[in-house]
Amino acid sequence: MKDVGYFAPSEIGETLKLLADYGAQATVLAGGTDLVPKINCYELKPENLLYIGRLGLDYIKEKDGKLVLGAATSTAQIAANELVQKKATALAQAAYRSGGAATKTIATVGGNVANASPGADLACALLAMDAEIALASVRGTRSVAIKDFFTGRGETVRRPDELLLEIHIPIPKGKTVFWKLGRRKAKTLSVANTSVHLLMDGKKCVEARIALGAMAPTLLRCTQAEALIKGQTLDITAAEECAARAVADSAPIDDQRASAWYRKKAGQALVVCALAQAADINN
Amino acid sequence: MKHVLSFTLNGAPVDALVQATDTLLDVLREKIGLTGTKRGCDTGNCGACTVLIDNEPVNACLTIALTVTGKTVTTVEGLVEGSELHPLQKAFHEHGASQCGFCTSGMLMAAKALLDKHPQPSRSAIVEFMSGNLCRCGTYLEVIEAIQAVAGGK
Ligand SMILES: Cc1cc2nc3c(=O)[nH]c(=O)nc-3n(C[C@H](O)[C@H](O)[C@H](O)COP(=O)(O)OP(=O)(O)OC[C@H]3O[C@@H](n4cnc5c(N)ncnc54)[C@H](O)[C@@H]3O)c2cc1C
Repeated sequence: MKDVGYFAPSEIGETLKLLADYGAQATVLAGGTDLVPKINCYELKPENLLYIGRLGLDYIKEKDGKLVLGAATSTAQIAANELVQKKATALAQAAYRSGGAATKTIATVGGNVANASPGADLACALLAMDAEIALASVRGTRSVAIKDFFTGRGETVRRPDELLLEIHIPIPKGKTVFWKLGRRKAKTLSVANTSVHLLMDGKKCVEARIALGAMAPTLLRCTQAEALIKGQTLDITAAEECAARAVADSAPIDDQRASAWYRKKAGQALVVCALAQAADINN
Repeated sequence: MKHVLSFTLNGAPVDALVQATDTLLDVLREKIGLTGTKRGCDTGNCGACTVLIDNEPVNACLTIALTVTGKTVTTVEGLVEGSELHPLQKAFHEHGASQCGFCTSGMLMAAKALLDKHPQPSRSAIVEFMSGNLCRCGTYLEVIEAIQAVAGGK
């Protein structure tokens, strides 16, 4: 077996240079919680590992009306951060409910997004907040709207020489919530998940964003369901119709966690719960 | 190519020659010979390999060994002080908090991480924090009792 190379640069410039030189022959390693199980099971044979945990990319700050997260910020940090809890509540909830204590310590938000799992919890919340993904390479930095970032299961628009550098979240107006259903209460991957972002004026819904996870090859933004409630009074009947619309276009799979049939039912119920919570519907 | 890995293990500096894809679990068990840390699932799901890196709990099976360069790792072998068992070890023993014992070292390390940060956790905080550590014998209630006993100073 060919020996695998290992790089752990301490500067971003050096990292981008390595990515430019190695491209797809360099596998970015953040927390490794998605990557290492695949290496251990011989599903993945990297040629070189490029560890990004020494770049100081673990920070959460507020800048120009946005929350800026370094790509290597851990899910534990995000779950415990007051700024995120207050201003991007759904993301803190998603982080809190993803993995167990020992995985949260090392799992990163950048890894959750770059891995492009259709059921990724943090990415689901970020999708409902219209986050922007900052990608850096020796050619410069570009920003991609998260709704355009995922192209398939495990596939994204990231080019092989690009590093996911930061995630920018326009601070949501209104309320954001995150709901997931797993096979057990804690430390469980989502059978289905959803994140809802609502701006309400009394009982009227002014703005709505709905993200749905584990229901198709990529996370879904349910724009038609959003259009159903925008500008309308949002009561429980409207929420139920909206949720039915949200799952109508989904295409979940049967796997070891749940059947496609069950996922549709679960997804729909989660959207109702999330809408009811975000809009303070009491009945 | 082999890489030199240097870190602090249970208070003492160690060096090991490792491959880039070796996990911390591989290195602890197979290079250094500390077999207290168990290999269960090798995918981060069971918690049997829980160790502390800079006092935070991690799954050694998910940790590429070279990433701990310069860091401090504590395994179950680092819990005893001289010939004295750690209070958690004593409490696990007294409460019968293990049956086959395979999950115990991971359970102990997770429990230590919890109590070091939150010396008096509620029962639900214990249950939640320990959710990443599976026990196929079903000693969960005894594990919780043992942790509660240490937290309560008993
Ligand atoms: C036991 C267990 C439980 C889990 N539970 C959950 C859960 O409940 N919810 C959930 O959403 N996920 C869960 N996961 C999946 C995983 O923990 C998360 O997706 C995590 O956020 C991945 O981050 P990481 O830093 O570990 O990624 P890594 O494994 O390091 O990387 C993942 C992928 O992204 C790429 N990558 C990482 N960072 C960058 C970057 N900055 N630039 C470019 N590419 C990059 C890597 O090359 C790799 O392809 C779980 C995993 C395990 C093992």
